[in-house]
Amino acid sequence: MSLLFSKLKENIFAMIPIIVIVFLLHLTVVPLPMEVLIRFVIGALFIIIGLSLFLIGVDLAITPLGSLTGEQITKTHKLWFVLLAGLVLGFFISVAEPGLLVFANQVEFVTEGALQSHVILIMVSIGLAILVALGFLRIIFNIPLFKILLVLYIIIGIMAMFSSPTFLAIAFDASGATTGVLAVPFLLALSVGISRLKRNSKASEKDSFGLVAIASAGAIMSLLALGFFTRNLTLSDTLGLDEPITDLWLPFVLELPVSISDTLVALSPILGIFLLMQLMGFKLKRRPLFRMIKGFIYAMLGLFIFLLGVNAGFMEVGQLLGETLASKNLKWLMVIAGFFIGLFTIIAEPAVSVLTHQIEDITAGYVKRRLVLIPLSIGVGFAISISMLRIIIPGLELWHILLPGYLLSLAMMFIVPKLFVGIAFDAGGVATGPLTATFTLAFVQGAANAYDSASVVIDGFGMIPLVALAPIITLQILGLVYKIRTRKAGI
Amino acid sequence: MEDVAMLTDYQLLVVIVNFGLGSKVLKICKQEGIQGGTIVLGKGTHHQPLLEFLELADTRKEVVLMITPLRYVNKALESLDEKLKLHKPNHGIAFVIPVMKFMGMGKYDRDFKSHEGGHIMTEYQAIFTVVDKGRGQDVVDAATKAGAKGATIIGARGSGIHETSKLFNMEVEPEKEMVLILVKHDIIKEVIDQISTDLELEKPGNGILFVQEVHQTYGIR
Repeated sequence: MSLLFSKLKENIFAMIPIIVIVFLLHLTVVPLPMEVLIRFVIGALFIIIGLSLFLIGVDLAITPLGSLTGEQITKTHKLWFVLLAGLVLGFFISVAEPGLLVFANQVEFVTEGALQSHVILIMVSIGLAILVALGFLRIIFNIPLFKILLVLYIIIGIMAMFSSPTFLAIAFDASGATTGVLAVPFLLALSVGISRLKRNSKASEKDSFGLVAIASAGAIMSLLALGFFTRNLTLSDTLGLDEPITDLWLPFVLELPVSISDTLVALSPILGIFLLMQLMGFKLKRRPLFRMIKGFIYAMLGLFIFLLGVNAGFMEVGQLLGETLASKNLKWLMVIAGFFIGLFTIIAEPAVSVLTHQIEDITAGYVKRRLVLIPLSIGVGFAISISMLRIIIPGLELWHILLPGYLLSLAMMFIVPKLFVGIAFDAGGVATGPLTATFTLAFVQGAANAYDSASVVIDGFGMIPLVALAPIITLQILGLVYKIRTRKAGI
Repeated sequence: MEDVAMLTDYQLLVVIVNFGLGSKVLKICKQEGIQGGTIVLGKGTHHQPLLEFLELADTRKEVVLMITPLRYVNKALESLDEKLKLHKPNHGIAFVIPVMKFMGMGKYDRDFKSHEGGHIMTEYQAIFTVVDKGRGQDVVDAATKAGAKGATIIGARGSGIHETSKLFNMEVEPEKEMVLILVKHDIIKEVIDQISTDLELEKPGNGILFVQEVHQTYGIR
């Protein structure tokens, strides 16, 4: 089976459950308008094709570029260069992340202009850049990931104590927004490239993970810091959700330029890095060079089709489902439907696919893709269920869940095999990709909008932090199971 | 076959299948009596110009290496052929290579009788050592101490009789490293002994080692 077919097959299987659950809801409690349903099916087709092409592009271009860059940077043997490269790479990857731009605009809107979007964009990117550099140093100097994460999250915890609960949600949300569809594969590959040079293969494997986790912490910290400087934040309580459009094709036309510009903006820094490195460092031969260029074309085309499918076909379905369920006051169904929507959308998330394949490659198949997907999906399913519970139960605040959740995940780091600590914390950043941030988020925001006692802003922004938290716990549990089950017997 | 059987009773069975089938191959072979195996990830290509132009020709493969006494080979191959339909195109390939020396699985074959008959055909022999992940470097260090000039470490996974586990009904094999060392036949005994002592290969569960004849070498002096 050739690469294209195996990717298509993989993604068709990833999409079927979402389509089934939407149709089930359509036939039972949430009848959707016909044109919305047709758009959803077309969107699903776009996602399948786009995702397949994009993932081929990642395999051909972005992953090799990332690991080559990581290797080249480390091989210079100059500490200042490694630091500088970390800062520059971190900054540009983050600044160009389409998800972060959307997020920054949303925060500006919600805080009624107190936090301006370009300030957020630059602050978050600086925070990310510093921590990517720190992450590079960690790999080079063999500092265990759990120590770094412990320190970072203690700092975050202290900062969080002094900020308002609402702003906390926004800050944690930033971590999900920055680690987007292109940043994640590139960061993953970078750390693989750096740690590949290690003599000790166990250390090299462990250190291939964790950079995404460290980078996400940077985004949270910079936004919390920004919160201190802008006191007296007033938050609006609307998000300006769109009304459903009745024309069948119009959304695709409207979303076309948005998807094109998002794709180009997201790919531009990585293309820039590619050109720069090709001129200075790697001097690739003809064959691998053309391979990489073709990979970029795949990635660009795929990302564009994928984003178009998500934006035009999926978002409104999510919103309508959430709104209808909430307005009919079907409390338990909200929680259950939330669980399954979270469970199934995460499988079709591009970065998740990249991460799970990378895990398989690095561990030579020891940690299987499907075994990572199961706890990851269950975790995200619970995260959406809890988000729905927060809408239903007004007293349940975000920190009530985040605080014990993070305490638990930090405590687990001490007993879980260290490889899984990296995988789990990386998965936290990976889970919040474009599909979750549109379809699932629209579902939760729609529900919050229609439910009387809930606020779109507080409950809507709270979902992403939960999605980022849940896999950290469930994947560490997987690590424990692995530890217990793969001991040698009978010696 | 007569000639081959003189080397040792052991054979190296190699099966190359599409990605994801490696664990299944190992499971089938274990049912037929083979004690363990090592799986390495690989890449294969289709020969189609269009696919090659589009860079879509690559497929992910798994290479399964199993050391087994000769008597299990045929049964295992038949069973594989039946269950994985190896005779159909693109369903995978399998082949068998004779092994000169083998140790591990608690059994240490120090018998060099095959050498005395004047069977040494080339100057070099290939030593394959499969150990737990992280110990590959120790193998290289041991071999270098005994005079080997270099080694290649290949990441792999695999399981012997001591390691079988399932998670959610899926076979899980622990991570391994396979070390390939080419050495001249005059120091091979020292190298093997050194590796065997340093890694305690006589004890079960510490790894396996086998030697194969090499017919031509380039690039080593």
